[in-house]
This record gives sequence, structure tokens and C-alpha cells, in this order.
Amino acid sequence: MAFPQGKAVAAAWAAPVALLALWQVACLSGLFPPQVLVPPSVVAQALADMAASGELQRHVGDSLYRLLVGFAIGAGAGMVFGAALALSRLVEAVLSPLFLTLWQVPVIAFVPLMVMFLGIDEPFKIAVVAIAAFFPMALATFDGIRGVPRNWFDVAKVYRLSLLQLIRRILLPATVPAVLTGLRISLTRAWVVLVAAELLAADSGIGQMMEMGRQLFQIDVVLAGVVVSGLIGFLLDRGARWVESRATRWRTA
Amino acid sequence: MKDQLARWPVRLVIGLVAPLLLIFLWQWQASAHSVTFAPPVAVASALAELLRNGDLLRDTLATLQRAFTGLAIGAPLGVAAGIAMGIWKPVDRLLGPLLHALRQVPMIGWLPLIGLWFGVGEGTELIVVSMSAFFPSMLNSHAGVAQVERRYLEVGGIYRFTTLQRIRFILLPAAMPLVLTGITQALAFAWISTIGTELLTGAGSGLGVAMQTAQVQQRLDIMLVVIGVTAALGFLINQLFRRLRQSLLRWQPAQS
Repeated sequence: MAFPQGKAVAAAWAAPVALLALWQVACLSGLFPPQVLVPPSVVAQALADMAASGELQRHVGDSLYRLLVGFAIGAGAGMVFGAALALSRLVEAVLSPLFLTLWQVPVIAFVPLMVMFLGIDEPFKIAVVAIAAFFPMALATFDGIRGVPRNWFDVAKVYRLSLLQLIRRILLPATVPAVLTGLRISLTRAWVVLVAAELLAADSGIGQMMEMGRQLFQIDVVLAGVVVSGLIGFLLDRGARWVESRATRWRTA
Repeated sequence: MKDQLARWPVRLVIGLVAPLLLIFLWQWQASAHSVTFAPPVAVASALAELLRNGDLLRDTLATLQRAFTGLAIGAPLGVAAGIAMGIWKPVDRLLGPLLHALRQVPMIGWLPLIGLWFGVGEGTELIVVSMSAFFPSMLNSHAGVAQVERRYLEVGGIYRFTTLQRIRFILLPAAMPLVLTGITQALAFAWISTIGTELLTGAGSGLGVAMQTAQVQQRLDIMLVVIGVTAALGFLINQLFRRLRQSLLRWQPAQS
């Protein structure tokens, strides 16, 4: 499934190629005025121009940097928080009501609040990404640890495993699948929220590139932004899925 | 200690510790800091004011209307597309690649393009919200139809069902749980993207617009009221749909 061979590869490529061809033909047919839809060749040209001037790399680089830093902070904190919540009944009793309440708020609703406190500079965008990554990660880690069968802990007791051994030998392997799924969801969520935040307030990044394109009526730039953000989202999801399947292949289906 | 924690009054009290601490910390910080840092008391009075002058009701209704209109457009289209793609392979081959390609772009990312096409306003917002509702409905419906057990279809074959009968009596009921899951997800997505598009376009009225205005005016009190309402509504709507789903699926044996 992950690595289609021969015919399957051709079939997988046929559809996107046909799609591009259709798009190009639709534009050449004159059905759409160029203010509305430009053909893929023009979008490709715009991408090439922006790549030549280094503008594209700057936007993509800035976006990915924010994603990476924010995701590392948010997912890391989420993992620790989720683990603490799952391992200690006391921590759960104290913090879970607050956590579950905050979880109801769409992350995007925090955006104006954070603009107010952090301004629209880099810390704001990293904080948005971190919050977007935090919640799914905390929940996945919590579920993962709570999902470990009780009798595994009994086995650990019988073997007199120390806490460290318990974590290394039982908790980690048992929770890796759930945590990886959480990582993937966090990563794609974080990307979506980052693009939205950049649309709203930024001086660089893919979202800002699209918003500037809209304001200047540069439809080729907007479409290029759509394509690039879609491609990055797709690659992030695929990459995370690949890691997921690699890391969990020891499990029987 | 463990037994104590199992009792709900104890849990309630302990669960209130963190929020209360937060509120105290906030009140204390608010009195020490600038005017923009509204204390909890100010938030309560802002809530009272917004309730009295009707702003909150107007914005809430506008947002609800937008989200549900988007859901009403996007979800049926998504369910129809998903079922059609699940039943007829050619439709899947034709539409699948296009839809999956479109799906990769963050929904809010469509806003600049659609805004360019249709202008920044109600129409653009509705299109983006409908799209957010469309995709989860489509994906789940597709999965629902695709994983109908073969033997059900074989029974249909024995009864010489027509295509329509097959859809009506086998595929739809069997796919129903996932279709409803899709619609529930669509609702959540529609709700979030409604808030998001309102924030970004800032046109008309709505909770997102109110947040945006509060941010520009540096009114933390109003902002927090609106965020609270958004969270509470999102929670309520989700609960409502969960109940609805359960009662619609009463006939099903308990699910794993």
C-alpha cells in the first residue's frame, strides 16, 4: 500500500496529471477570464519566479521554522501533560476539568487573544502552533497510557521492575502507536492553524504570501500559495504516516 | 486516597482548585498590570452588558446561522459524493483525485482565493464553511459504503434487488453509523471554520467578528466573553449531535 509498484504507480500518477491537463485545457478554452483562473503553467511560472528571487524559499522556510519550533514545544508539553494526567489520579482530578474545558475552545479563537498579548511577531505564531499541537498530543498520550491493559502492570510488579524499567519496557512500547497517531494529528492541525494565523497577521510565510496576493489581485501568487500549502500539508501527513507504519510494524495486525 | 478520589463531590472540589487558582492569579495580575488586562469582575460585567444590549445574541445567532447553513450545504453534498464514490468505481476514479487534491489544502487557506473570486463577504464565508463540512462527510460516507459486508450484498443479490433497492435497504443502513460520524465531524469543522472565516474577513456580525473587533479595541473583557460563548456553544452542539446519533442508531447492537 505504501509503496505501489509498476502499474499502481502509473495509476496513482495518472489522476493528478489528468487533473492538471484538465485545468490547463479549461483555461486555454477561454471559459474563464484570466482574472479568475490562470492555467497551471502560469502558476508554475509564478512559482519559478518566486523561487528564483528566493521569495518562495523565504516564505516556506519561515512557515516551516514556526511549525517546527511550535510543534516541538506544543507536542512535547502535550506529551508530558498527557502522561502526568494518565499516571496520577490526583493530577487528573486537579487538572482534567480545566483541560477539558479549554479543549472546547477552537484554537483559532485563541488567535485574537494572543495577538493582544504577544503582538503579531514570531512568538505569537509559535505560540499558536504550540497550542494547536498541545491538545491532540496530550489527549493521545493520555489515551495511549490509559489503554495499557492493567495486567501488564501486574506483570511488571511480579518482575519487580523499577519505575524506569516500567516506563522503558512497558509504557513506551505500549503507548508508541497512540503517541505517533497523536503526533501526526498534532502536526497536521498545527499546519492548518499556522496557515490561518499567517493569513491573519504576519510579515512572511505561506499564509501571508496568499493574503498579499489576494490584496494585490495576483491570482497566480494566491494559487501558488494554495498549491504549496496543500503540498506541504500532504507531505507532512504522508511523512508522519510513514513514520507511524515504520515504528509500529512489529505489531501484529 | 484513591477511594476518596473516586467520589464525585471530592472530584468536583479538587477539579475546581485549578480554575479557581487561575482566576485568583488573574485577578491579582490584573490589578498589578495595565488597563487592557481585564480582571474577572470586568469580564462578568462585560457579559452582562453584551447580554443587555443584545450584541451577544445577535453575534451568536449570526455565527450559528452561518455554521448551520454551511453544514446544510456541505454535509449532504459530501454524503452524496461519498456514497456515490463508494458505490460506483468510475465516479471514484473521476472525482476521487480532484477531491483528495483539494482536501490537502488547509480549508482556511482557500479564503484568499475564494475571496478574490467572490469578494470578501457572506458568500465567501459560506463557501469555505460548506467546504469544511463537505470533506469529513464525504470521507466517512465513502468509508461507510466501502466497508459494507459482502454477505449483505449477496443477500440483496438473491432477492434480485434493483440498484435503488440495494442502496435504500442495504448500503444506506449499513453505512449509517459512519455517515453520522462524518456529519458530526462536519459540524465541528463547520463551527471552527465559521469562527475562523469570521475572524479573517471580519464582515457583518458574528462571534469571530466580535473577537476581531475586541482585539482591535484592546477589550480583553469582551474577548474573553466571546471566547467563553464560543467554547460553550461548541460543546453544547457536539453533545446534542452525539445524543442525536445515539438515538438514530438505537437499532444497532452495542458498538465496539
